[in-house]
Amino acid sequence: MALGTDRVNKVDRLAELTAQRDGDAEGASLLRETFGRLRRSPMAISGAVIVGAFLFVAVIAPFVAPYEPGAQLWGREVMPNQNVFVGPRGENWFGLDHLGRDQLSRMLVGARNSLLVGVVATLLGFTAGAMLGGVAGAAVSLGRAWGRRLDAVIMRFIDMMLAIPALLIAVSIAAILGPSLTTVMVAVGLAQVPIFARLLRGSMLAQSHSDYVLAATALGVRRPRIVRSHILPNSLGPVIVQATLTLATAIIEAAALSYLGFGNPDPATPDWGAMLADAQRFLVGAPELAMYPAVAIIITALGFTLLGEAMRESLDPKLRK
Amino acid sequence: MLQSRVTRLGRTALIGIVGALAVSLAGCESERDTGDGDRNETEPFVFGVPTDARTLDPIFTTDGETFRVTRQIYDTLLDHEPGGKEIVGGLAEDWESSDDGLEWTFQLREGVTFHDGEELDGEAVCANFDRWHNFEGAYQDTNFTYYWQNMFGGFAENEEGVDTEEKFRSCTADGLTVTIEVAEPSASYPGAFSMATFAILSPGSLEQIEDDEITSADSAFPDYTQGEGVLAGTGPYQISGWDHGSQEITLERFDDYWGDNAKVKTLIFKTISEETARRQALEAGDIHGYDLAAPGDVEPLKENGFQVPTRDVFNILYLAFQQETTPEFADLEVRQAMAHAVDRQRIVDTILPEGGEVASQFMPPTVDGWSEDVTTYDYDPELAEEMISDAGVDGLTVDFCYVTDTSRPYMPAVRDIFEIISSDLEEVGLSIDPKPMEWDQYIPATNSGQCSLYLLGWTGDFNEGYNFLGTWFDRPSDEWGFENDEIFDLMSEIDRTPDPEERAGKLAEANEVIMDFLPGLPISSSPPAIAFAPDVEPMDVSPLTQEVFADVSFAEE
Repeated sequence: MALGTDRVNKVDRLAELTAQRDGDAEGASLLRETFGRLRRSPMAISGAVIVGAFLFVAVIAPFVAPYEPGAQLWGREVMPNQNVFVGPRGENWFGLDHLGRDQLSRMLVGARNSLLVGVVATLLGFTAGAMLGGVAGAAVSLGRAWGRRLDAVIMRFIDMMLAIPALLIAVSIAAILGPSLTTVMVAVGLAQVPIFARLLRGSMLAQSHSDYVLAATALGVRRPRIVRSHILPNSLGPVIVQATLTLATAIIEAAALSYLGFGNPDPATPDWGAMLADAQRFLVGAPELAMYPAVAIIITALGFTLLGEAMRESLDPKLRK
Repeated sequence: MLQSRVTRLGRTALIGIVGALAVSLAGCESERDTGDGDRNETEPFVFGVPTDARTLDPIFTTDGETFRVTRQIYDTLLDHEPGGKEIVGGLAEDWESSDDGLEWTFQLREGVTFHDGEELDGEAVCANFDRWHNFEGAYQDTNFTYYWQNMFGGFAENEEGVDTEEKFRSCTADGLTVTIEVAEPSASYPGAFSMATFAILSPGSLEQIEDDEITSADSAFPDYTQGEGVLAGTGPYQISGWDHGSQEITLERFDDYWGDNAKVKTLIFKTISEETARRQALEAGDIHGYDLAAPGDVEPLKENGFQVPTRDVFNILYLAFQQETTPEFADLEVRQAMAHAVDRQRIVDTILPEGGEVASQFMPPTVDGWSEDVTTYDYDPELAEEMISDAGVDGLTVDFCYVTDTSRPYMPAVRDIFEIISSDLEEVGLSIDPKPMEWDQYIPATNSGQCSLYLLGWTGDFNEGYNFLGTWFDRPSDEWGFENDEIFDLMSEIDRTPDPEERAGKLAEANEVIMDFLPGLPISSSPPAIAFAPDVEPMDVSPLTQEVFADVSFAEE
């Protein structure tokens, strides 16, 4: 633990120590403590189970789906014009959709598309948002006149985005790009950018006034280094939690966009939102066609929300015993 | 005539008796303030339509929803029998043409009054024809005068770039006799005189209209066409107001109408664009009827006591094979393979409303000129697959355009039909690239040949085979992308044959030639479903979707 002799080395070593969070220090580390509390939280467990099940289904869907999801194998048996629908039966556990396709296969493969859209959209929103917010937060923390100006520019732009409802942004983007799965991912992702940006910047500002930053400053660590190895890592927690919560929103918004017709242009490729939109026309004759995707969307969103909430609570220092 | 006078006397007497009864009843039950007065007088009849009318001056449009409204306000020289497709007199009681089909003489009814009080005479009719014939500038754009150019050709002085040949020569009036001369005979006469777009406006309204408000091809419709005040016709209803905010057009009964007066005093056309929303509005009692019900809603509506009368079929839905965009389609074997690949019977059985049928040619069987001897293409996926691989186009990727935001009378549930066809085609070895589009983009895209495959259709304007075949095949076009002089020559020959029977023979021949050439695949004819509340006495429904709203009324309790 010897501190070096010359001043520069000493400062560097101090900076590392102050930035260190885990390891041999007394008391449990933040991560370990968090996990410990997550394990004991029923909310976290149920959320994790739902999310796990959803991930599992999405991954194995193409191998376990009993039929090709786009094949109209029983096309002549379902007659939407006469209100004849085929409900659950031996060969089709969830019944048939309005064009005689196996509803179970469509639900399974649909999970895959919904997950893909949710994850990619969230990653996109997270990356872009964190970059904008990070730059703004860093600029303020560096604390020069140009830093504050840069921050102001970025944040006013973010405020503008915030002022427009997320779904409206998404619909506008979808209208420009034309309907496709990529459009939905980009649209939903971009709509999440302001949330991530604001959250990260806010969190960085809060950290920059904390004691350890003051300590590091007092020790003579330079500002850029403080921002890089102290403020930024410590500010990421809430943003990661937000990402979990956003996954739920993204799945719902993706469903909404598909529902509005901005999703995959090939209606034979199933996703839950589009299935819901389709089934709406047959609510009178076959309400169950709408129930399956609706319930699936609700449960999945619930799973991610529960997990996210539980993570937020266990990460919150104020709730620590 | 005599009979109708007796009925009218009878009506007057009946109205008198009902009036007296009403007065005496009112006397007895004066404390009941709701009173069960005649609903037809007190309550507006509200009809739900899928899209707003565009203009109340119908010469400017080709749009069925506009005509649904203007048909109640104006009359045309000729008309169709209510609920049928035979041509009967409208403003003209009698009409005849010269043997060469160049001179059409109309004998107008006596005692016809316009809503603004003017009397109908030959001068008034000719004033309308002369106005259309003398349109200038942007008025000559097909956006505004498509039907005029299609039926009566060019204008007195064609602007630069307008190369439509002049077919209309002159209109001469002599008292109640009107003579219209045309340059060449056409299969479109006399049908054209029955088209809602050629509605007769009162001379008074014509004076107030200044034909200089449309200045470019994309101008908005002039103000006078968007509300009450200027326009007067001779129909059973007159314009009372158009609320553009709530998308409601209100019409009031015109009491001096020349025929039987409208049964309901106030008629409202209310736009509700969504099929489901229209059904819900009917179920909730907000509207009393609506058109283009989703086929899937018909059975549930009937079960709940709503009336869904069936129309006769008078339309065609087809799948077009664009041969220029996709050169592979120029191979007849490929087109035949696609025809064998599509299970049209399934579309009719599972998607289309009751009464739909598979089409064997590009016109419904009720039209003169329909042929029994056309080549038919049965559903045979194995054969289709073989033909596709014989032609060496296995795995060929083709663009297939479909509409996302609307349904048309000939194609309800467009996307379901699209999905069935595209799955059938993929089954036999083609690869489909779906291109979803909104209606506004769809029409220009299909007209300019951007889609290899697309679904479109046609509802006949009047009972004439040429109105179907001529619409598509009278010239080379980007819609189809083929050159076939045999078909084009046959079409222009048919157009110039004035005798209906001779024409029907040639139309039958044309149908056979076309179905051998197979420019596209006729899918089906189907009746668009119209629905009414249980307490309504509907009018006769029309295969041309030209319902007469003057005949609709609330049922007596």
